[in-house]
Amino acid sequence: MEKLTKYFGGLAAVKDVSFAVPELQIYGFIGPNGAGKTTLFSMIAGALRPSAGRIRSRGKEVTGSPPFRLVKSGVARTHQVVRPFRAMTVLENVQLAAHFGRRNFTRSAAARQYAREALAWVGIDHLADTLAANISLGDQKRLELARALATEPQLLLCDEICGGLTASETRAMLDLLRRIRKNGTTIMYVEHDVKAIMAVCDHVMVLNYGQKLAEGRPQEIQNNPAVVEAYLGKAGSQQKGSQPLA
Amino acid sequence: MTTAVYAPSRPEARVRMLLPWLLLVVLALLPTAGLTPNLIRLFFITFVWVTTSLGWNLLGGFTGQVSFGFAVFYGLGAYTAALMIDRGVNPYLSFVAAGLIPAFASVLIGLPTFRLRGPYFAIATIGVSEATRVIMNNLSITGGASGFRIMEHRPFRQVEHYYTALGLAALAVAVSLLIVHSKFGMGLRAIKQDEEAAADLGVNPYAYKLAIHAVAAALTGMAGGVFARYAAFINPPGVFAFQTSIYILLMPVIGGIGTVWGAVLGGVVFGIVEEQLVANFPQLHLLLYGSLLILIILAEPDGLAGLLGKVFRRLRKPKRTYGNTDSGSGKADEVLRRASGG
Repeated sequence: MEKLTKYFGGLAAVKDVSFAVPELQIYGFIGPNGAGKTTLFSMIAGALRPSAGRIRSRGKEVTGSPPFRLVKSGVARTHQVVRPFRAMTVLENVQLAAHFGRRNFTRSAAARQYAREALAWVGIDHLADTLAANISLGDQKRLELARALATEPQLLLCDEICGGLTASETRAMLDLLRRIRKNGTTIMYVEHDVKAIMAVCDHVMVLNYGQKLAEGRPQEIQNNPAVVEAYLGKAGSQQKGSQPLA
Repeated sequence: MTTAVYAPSRPEARVRMLLPWLLLVVLALLPTAGLTPNLIRLFFITFVWVTTSLGWNLLGGFTGQVSFGFAVFYGLGAYTAALMIDRGVNPYLSFVAAGLIPAFASVLIGLPTFRLRGPYFAIATIGVSEATRVIMNNLSITGGASGFRIMEHRPFRQVEHYYTALGLAALAVAVSLLIVHSKFGMGLRAIKQDEEAAADLGVNPYAYKLAIHAVAAALTGMAGGVFARYAAFINPPGVFAFQTSIYILLMPVIGGIGTVWGAVLGGVVFGIVEEQLVANFPQLHLLLYGSLLILIILAEPDGLAGLLGKVFRRLRKPKRTYGNTDSGSGKADEVLRRASGG
């Protein structure tokens, strides 16, 4: 990613953010509300076209590619606000992703089989024949993940996948992310919950007002005075060290 | 939608799969039973309407794109067939062309209009429809507003028209069923529910909408062609009328939007009611559709098919004592609702 910028009208939601995500890492993004995290993801996933800057994936230029094409080249996302196809069953939701993802199954039996495996992976295979509208939020978050996984991504963009979950559900979800990475998928991860990010990420970037504030390993970030200030205000930075984040 | 079809071991499902074939055989044998010409005409018109209803349902019902412009395809099909038959081309070859030309037109119309969403798309299709009618009213090679009379150098055999229309309606049912249970159909259902989420999972919404629009236009155009050959006279205020667009849209809504058999039912009800009422009380049928539409939107959004499903379920369910609000019925409803899609 080079100098990614997105303007909404005259307002820069994301400005000149550059970074590179090494393969097989879990790369985290944190920042206060409106810092531009979701906008950044939408640009990478192809839902928004960057106003400026370039996105390359494994050396190939993919700036401005539509989402359905990016999925075929191995980029999938989950949404901050879950978007299941409510009138379809849980299995059908994932079957769709298997049909149209990188595997591109044409036979529905094969796609269904693959979808069942994805459901088992995230642990909601017992809900396969339930309508997606009728399952709990925690299960809908897992469905989002199963759907994205069924496209067989090389890069998975997770937008606040733990938002609204209980502490134990969050822990289970983080374990799931680790297992997905171990299985060969690079993950970019946005979360409000600083603790969750610090627990699971290899590398963290802090965004504030659409700009890169800091980046580094989780421990480095926690002790960065600029980050502490953005989160806790000036007072926080004065008593630096006394109250480490997370 | 798929679950019922993939469980052929259940006797119910087997009946469900046999029923359409049985219906087809009965309809195919019907003319040999000595129907009056008037009844044959009624069946013919009904098959034509059923075809357009199924065509619209592919785009409006499965894909969620409400178009008020299907008279364009109906009219184009009618005129294509009319011009070709008049010049001595084989009528069945003409019907193929009556499918291809509207399909081509649908792509031209879809390219700009599918950039619009929801009501904006619907409004744009009204504009396209009206513009087409005005152009056809002034086009000299088709006789303009005074219409076009088809001179076919073959003897008129009513039964042949009956079988042509029946075959076309059967084709429309087959195409719809194939699409519903395919990967293509699944993509369409996803687009109907959430276009962005569908794109995020690899579906190309724009291309899919264009494709299904073309299939729908082809079926509707062929119906127009078959009608034109039977009527032997067509004119723009007839086939290109805005009213025709409304009729085509009303049928699947009345019958049960987004389900194959709902669209068929809507076409049947419309065809019969229209033909009988229009002859006797020219204005009354509009009143009837108006009332029917209001009733359906208020009471039963799944249309007549949804209503019939409910009635059957109530009849089949064994009698229970009061107060026994069983938890199983919700699940059964859900299964039936999904099954009614195919």
